[in-house]
Amino acid sequence: MRLEVKGLRKSFGEKEVLHGISFSIESGKALGLLGRNGAGKTTTIRILMDVFRANSGSITVDGRPFEPKNFRIGYLPEERGLYPKKGVQEQLMYLAQLRGCSRSEAKHNSARWLERLGVEEYAQRKLETLSKGNQQKVQLAQTLVCDPDLVILDEPFSGLDPVNSQILKDVIQEQIREGKLVIFSSHQMSYVEEFCEDIILINRGEIVLSGSLGQIKREYGRNRLVVDLGTEDQERLLSDYAGDLLQIVGRRKKQVIAEMKPGCTKERLLRELLERKLIPEEFGNYEPSLTEIFVEKAGDQP
Amino acid sequence: MRTFLTVLKFELNNYFKNKGFLLTTAVLMVLAVGIIVVPGIIMDRGTGPSSGGTKSEKSEEADYTLALFDKNASVPDLDALSAAMGMKIEWTECTDARQAENAVEEGEADAGFLVDDLLHYTYVVENRSMYDSLQDTFSQALAAMYRSQVLTGEGIDPAEMESLYQILPESETQILGKDSAGNYAYTYILIMVQYFLLIFYGQMIATSVTSEKSNRAIEILVTSVDSNSLIFGKVLAGAIAGLIQCVLILGSAVGAYQIFGESWGGLLDNVFDIPIPVWITFAVFGMLGYLLYAFCFGMLGALVSKTEDISKVSMPVMMLYIISFFIAIFGLNDSNGILIRAASFIPFTSSNGMLIRVAMGSVELWEIIVSCLLLVTFCAGTGVLAAKIFRFGTLMYGNPVKFTTALKKIREK
Repeated sequence: MRLEVKGLRKSFGEKEVLHGISFSIESGKALGLLGRNGAGKTTTIRILMDVFRANSGSITVDGRPFEPKNFRIGYLPEERGLYPKKGVQEQLMYLAQLRGCSRSEAKHNSARWLERLGVEEYAQRKLETLSKGNQQKVQLAQTLVCDPDLVILDEPFSGLDPVNSQILKDVIQEQIREGKLVIFSSHQMSYVEEFCEDIILINRGEIVLSGSLGQIKREYGRNRLVVDLGTEDQERLLSDYAGDLLQIVGRRKKQVIAEMKPGCTKERLLRELLERKLIPEEFGNYEPSLTEIFVEKAGDQP
Repeated sequence: MRTFLTVLKFELNNYFKNKGFLLTTAVLMVLAVGIIVVPGIIMDRGTGPSSGGTKSEKSEEADYTLALFDKNASVPDLDALSAAMGMKIEWTECTDARQAENAVEEGEADAGFLVDDLLHYTYVVENRSMYDSLQDTFSQALAAMYRSQVLTGEGIDPAEMESLYQILPESETQILGKDSAGNYAYTYILIMVQYFLLIFYGQMIATSVTSEKSNRAIEILVTSVDSNSLIFGKVLAGAIAGLIQCVLILGSAVGAYQIFGESWGGLLDNVFDIPIPVWITFAVFGMLGYLLYAFCFGMLGALVSKTEDISKVSMPVMMLYIISFFIAIFGLNDSNGILIRAASFIPFTSSNGMLIRVAMGSVELWEIIVSCLLLVTFCAGTGVLAAKIFRFGTLMYGNPVKFTTALKKIREK
């Protein structure tokens, strides 16, 4: 299954909040929608889920218009909520049946997910009597109880403690392995790096970066090096002795991040440093973290 | 359709698992049975032969103790006066007005009479109650005594004259249309039943919609199921729960009357002997009218996100129903009037209006059909509009959204 989003535009009143969002994703992969608060991630997801209608643009699955009601979708909205006064399994079964499961399938799936998430003992209890952490697990169970083809998670890690975050990571990885199509939004980069092959970075309603995460990192690292001369004044030394070959663009702990100028090669730079008796403790290609890319692309412009 | 039935079942379960709902139903059933059984038993005890002992014992006690100051000895015989008043009275004869007043003040007498002559007297009482009829009874008894004196003076037998006054022509009633006097009781009861159903369930339906917004379950719901299924499921569940509750409560009363009806001596036959056409009108128009208002309440529930705001936004609909209710109460006394005729066609008032016309007035079949079609159309339209507003209101948290704003936004879409 291939989901393709093309040129989504959305306005609220006079203000356009999405300026043509496009991306695509296939089953068995996870796509991370990244962006700062208010960038347009949730609006994009809500358009996917048909909570809002886009002003223009198209969403297709395998070339045909995407109708959410024709698919089993596991949706975890940003605004979490269930019935606090209803029994845990009762409401899971209700939601599963609303999404197309038979009663017996709903019963089986709800029991399976409650067990998988370690909250089966609360199946008959009212939701409001559970701890916050267990309520989060029930919320995750409701997302997956219908055995979805598509899993759409809006800020799934928000508010989770480390144990529940780990459980969620495991579950998402399971879903990817089972060939599900997973889309999720987040601004917690470490999770995205763990299981996303593709990302799109949205800033102020526009895609500012998209593609394979590995490729993006390589491209961002191209012509950039990390150097550590082991001295306090290494930035001055590099500027003084190799200023015509590179330009310092930042720091990462003790390392200096530098961009090679046209005509510069790693061999030439290294030779230059060694001739001046500057022996690097570290010298190599720079591979940026997703957080660094994020801050650079979506950070406040000076 | 499948999802609609799932929603309907879930919402019905909410009612039937709600302890408050079950308790209210049980209490009202007991109350309905109690209202039929207890007064019946009391009346039975009052008239039955087994209670003869109590009655004779009671008859030895006086109904009233009355102080009497007969200034000019106008009353010839106190026993005759008691008999004329139709009561057992213990008379305290006083020698002056003051003594009679003191007897009343100190509670020795229930009331006092200061008689100048048979046509002039003063009634003395400590506190006069709303239902005090002693003075009227006394006046009639004195007047009878006066008539008797005058007639005797004229040489006419007063007893003969009294019996002439008692003669009533024998009559039979042949009602060609409807007996409004007889139908009043059950029509009034049916209108009240609908009123209470609406007051009770209208708020419950609105609360059920709003609580899904306040607990943030709504986004999961509207992305899982069509909003028509959601709103229709909720409203129809409320209607079915109301109908079941209504059948149980009225059924208990009717059942109790079947068993204990004899002790009422047929007094309530009028109330429970509701003709089939009236039942059908009540079922069809009552249910459709109820659904119309229920959809309105559901719609209003979608415009707010906090349950405490419901009473504020539901006020206009509540007022609309109260107006309909007052028109109905007025129409009970004028079932063929222009007001009730008009009300029987307006969807928001026709559930009561048509019921009154069918039960108590005269109505043509075409009028019933036209009114019913109007109500069905309005009901379906309001249901669809409610679903649209429900969908629109999904992510409208915070302050209540104005109905006109919601309509405008829906039209823009």
